Amino acid sequence: MSKSSADSEPKEQAEGQDAKKVHGVLYLGIDLGTSRTSVSASNGMRETVASYVGYPKDVVSRKLLKKEVLFGDEAIHHRLSLNLFRPLAHGVINAVDTAQGEANLKAARDLIGEIIRRSQPRKDELVYAVIGAPAQASIKNKEAILKAARESVDSVMLCSEPFSVAYGLDMLDDVLVIDIGAGTTDLCRMHGTMPEDADQITITFAGDFVDDEIMKELKRTCPGAQFTKEMVKAIKEKHSTVMDKIEPIVVELPVEGKPMAFDITEVIRGSCKKIIAPIVEGLGQLIATFDPEFQHRLKNRVLLAGGGSQIKGLDLAFEAEMKKRLGEGRVIRIEEPIYGGANGALKIAHDMPEEYWEKLK
Amino acid sequence: MPEFQTARSDGHGQGIFSPPEIERQMRIEFERAQRHKYPIVCMLVRIDRLSLLQDLYGQESQAEILRAVIGLMRASTRDSDLLGWLPGDRLLALFPHSAPDVAAALARRVLAGARRLRFDRDGRTLGISLSIGVAHNQHEGDLSFDTLVQVAEEGLAVADAGGGDRFVETELYQLYEKRAKLEADRGRRAESFSGASAPAQTAPPRSPQERLLELLSEEGHSAEEFKGLDLDTVVRAIQSLREGSGAAGDGDLEEARRRIDILERRIAKLTRILGVTEEELQRVAAMKGIDLGIASVYRTVQGLAADAAYRERKQEMMKVIFQANVTLQHRTRPGGGPRASGK
Repeated sequence: MSKSSADSEPKEQAEGQDAKKVHGVLYLGIDLGTSRTSVSASNGMRETVASYVGYPKDVVSRKLLKKEVLFGDEAIHHRLSLNLFRPLAHGVINAVDTAQGEANLKAARDLIGEIIRRSQPRKDELVYAVIGAPAQASIKNKEAILKAARESVDSVMLCSEPFSVAYGLDMLDDVLVIDIGAGTTDLCRMHGTMPEDADQITITFAGDFVDDEIMKELKRTCPGAQFTKEMVKAIKEKHSTVMDKIEPIVVELPVEGKPMAFDITEVIRGSCKKIIAPIVEGLGQLIATFDPEFQHRLKNRVLLAGGGSQIKGLDLAFEAEMKKRLGEGRVIRIEEPIYGGANGALKIAHDMPEEYWEKLK
Repeated sequence: MPEFQTARSDGHGQGIFSPPEIERQMRIEFERAQRHKYPIVCMLVRIDRLSLLQDLYGQESQAEILRAVIGLMRASTRDSDLLGWLPGDRLLALFPHSAPDVAAALARRVLAGARRLRFDRDGRTLGISLSIGVAHNQHEGDLSFDTLVQVAEEGLAVADAGGGDRFVETELYQLYEKRAKLEADRGRRAESFSGASAPAQTAPPRSPQERLLELLSEEGHSAEEFKGLDLDTVVRAIQSLREGSGAAGDGDLEEARRRIDILERRIAKLTRILGVTEEELQRVAAMKGIDLGIASVYRTVQGLAADAAYRERKQEMMKVIFQANVTLQHRTRPGGGPRASGK
């Protein structure tokens, strides 16, 4: 490296600084979810975006929106002017072999590009990302996620979502993870090694299931009320609970254009409770097939994660159900339900040796 | 302003150290600096296109310019500094207790002073400029006096090749140091080889059988394998093969060194260009209000810390995740699998 002085001192100083510059490595942990996509980055950025991608339907809407593609809440807000995609319905990129699948893949690619852009990487940094994928995503879907991500990062790896949650908390021994997403709920048994297929169960009793149940119940109990899936989702996110003693949940829904108040306490509570039994049943399967000597420990180390874990009283409800079905159970709700998966993926990215990243470039 | 230390008069009539004197003085000063760990700076100066000026305006002009430059350097420095001349009309200066940044400031001062010098010849006013190579002893790692001077010489050559009127510090200390060590090793090997062969010269001549047995045992063979062949011919063949491979090895080493040198320079040049380009991009981005992003807290790839909890298990887990991803990549890439890594 040379330092040279021609005429100007500032130029020389700048050259000296450049000589010492070392380009950085930005690690990203990405939780690619049905409902939300979150990123935790090694530059301190943490972002989450609703997993919706919209493309203007025509020239008029493109001119009006002044954008080629919209994401998240903005896309939902302008959905009438957009071809709206939810590329990760059920936690995976849908219908990858069809025309719709191609469109979904493009939407997923754009969504990943957007979440990476929101992590504000510097142009001169290498970007290494670990993406959490549903525990039992098919090979085809993993391939699709990988393909979508590769355009935006220098090197990328996939890992099981519930595993990343447990890894992020350094809970690698005798732990059961419940990761309740929108499309799927992943159950994972950690026993000190990398979980295998037999250690993981993916079921569809998750956020979207609760939305559907609420919609069904609203139609039944609130005749004439008009509502959309997005409205139901918003109500659920605000009021979801499984607790017995709560204030009445009263919402206003339009009836023939006029807002009317409805008490939906039982609708919400009943719908939310419907996921408890199937999830505990899944836990029971994982516990029953585990070494009997460690089953007691496993039942008392259950981690509750994912957006669905924000349902009020869910941890206690799981404990009660486990006690009824399995004799005992202790559930720990993680502190950051939205970023738990992304934080764990970030930690995996950090701990991954350099040669592995290099080989996957 | 105090002046340089001077010794007896020399060919230039300037009262500065002659080449052997300046080298001796500098070696002493260098050793002292290394022992007491204080900074010193070495500076090698040459007047740009001096021989051309001599051709155009005669020997007298050259002497006058040299005197003026020596005067300039004396005026710019302290009396504790050492100044001498070297063949090729170069000036060599050593500045004890001077930090590298002081050297840069001093070099700039000397360059600016030289630009202000004016000489009248045949009714024309002449201006001059200098090329300066700078080196210091504050670089990390081992450093010898020869390396210090070599870095300064290299800097001078780069400054000269760049059109002069500049100072350059190449920072190739470790490269020169390694090279010096290699040379020293080679010297020692050659010495030990001649030392080993010396007694053989005085020892009574051995028979071809004895020499063959010795050589074959060194090569891991027995004499039985070569039964029936002319012993003297076999001895000569083995020796000739050894000499040949030794010469080829030296040649390869020299070539490798030359290539390393070229590559080092190329990297330095490209890094400099890249730096300037990035600086320009940043300037343009700032002008246009483009977000340049937030820097990661990591400068290099991390990996598991030595004291990480469950380190071995985690290592195993990382390996499994990696292998699963390699398998996945095999399926997604048309060429099949990850790219060939340089690692």
